[in-house]
Amino acid sequence: MSIVLRIALILGALFALSIVVRKVRKSKIRIADSVYWVCAAVLLLILAIFPGIAYFFSDLLGFLSPSNFVFLVVIALILLKLFNLACEVSRLTDKVEQLSQEVALSKKEFGDNLQNKR
Amino acid sequence: MRVLAIVPAYNEEECLANTVRELTSTCPDVDYLVVNDGSSDATPRICDELALNHIDLPVNCGLTSAVKAGMKYALRHGYDAAVQIDSDGQHIPEYIPTMAKTLEDEGADIVIASRNLAGGGAVGARGAGAKLITAIIHQTTGATITDPTSGMRMYNRAMIERLARGFDLAPEPDTIALLIRRGAKVIEVPAKMRERQGGTSYLHFMSSISYMARTCLSILLFQWFR
Repeated sequence: MSIVLRIALILGALFALSIVVRKVRKSKIRIADSVYWVCAAVLLLILAIFPGIAYFFSDLLGFLSPSNFVFLVVIALILLKLFNLACEVSRLTDKVEQLSQEVALSKKEFGDNLQNKR
Repeated sequence: MRVLAIVPAYNEEECLANTVRELTSTCPDVDYLVVNDGSSDATPRICDELALNHIDLPVNCGLTSAVKAGMKYALRHGYDAAVQIDSDGQHIPEYIPTMAKTLEDEGADIVIASRNLAGGGAVGARGAGAKLITAIIHQTTGATITDPTSGMRMYNRAMIERLARGFDLAPEPDTIALLIRRGAKVIEVPAKMRERQGGTSYLHFMSSISYMARTCLSILLFQWFR
């Protein structure tokens, strides 16, 4: 694993951590939702500081270069997060639809649905 | 038997009034509910001016959600059956009493108005798609649904409850297959349908590709895990 990749990983991870901290401070992300990003950044930091881990796993899995293992980890993290986001969007869509249905039904119940004349 | 006709309407200013007029004059015993699905045209104004029995979804949620809102209404107002009637005028309300009678006499859970049993049916690519869905429903459930894409379906109380409460239960063929596997009795009655009288269909060309993908995947794969 080249020293350039290690430095890039360290800088990238620290940069990511600083962004997460700033967003939490500005109330742009809930702490529960930030846990994943902190863990991912720390994981990359560990891989950069202890390249032995990457060497070990790339030998174990038969990769040509330990940096390939690092890329694999990054891609896996992204795919995992992406799929979880898709699930979350589905759940949110369902919730918005349920809310819309309830709003429509309650407005009808209280006779307010004849007020949308423009 | 109290029957509710659920009329989902998204931007249907051209034909909504006629559809409801035809519905109320042919079937005076059948209550109806127009579900205005966040329309951006004159649909909500028509609902108000003609004092149609309607609810307004505050944002456009899609056909599935509009029908689900109707099912919740049917559930809360104690209807024995609910039938989906498209607002574009392609469904002929004269068949509603026949469907209700079949539902009651034969003890069916779902009654589908089938164009194929009446000698009609979709042709071309759409017909091929419908045949494919018929085939995979037959393969996976053993039941033969000649017109799976017919939107004119009547549900009994038990099915209304499921559709009102279930997650991702679209009023589409894959739900029919799932319900059959869960023991629902589905009967088809022959019915003619008209060409749509105006407006644009929910199913455009590109969306019909993803419609087929979603439907096939749901029936062939996810049905076993739901």
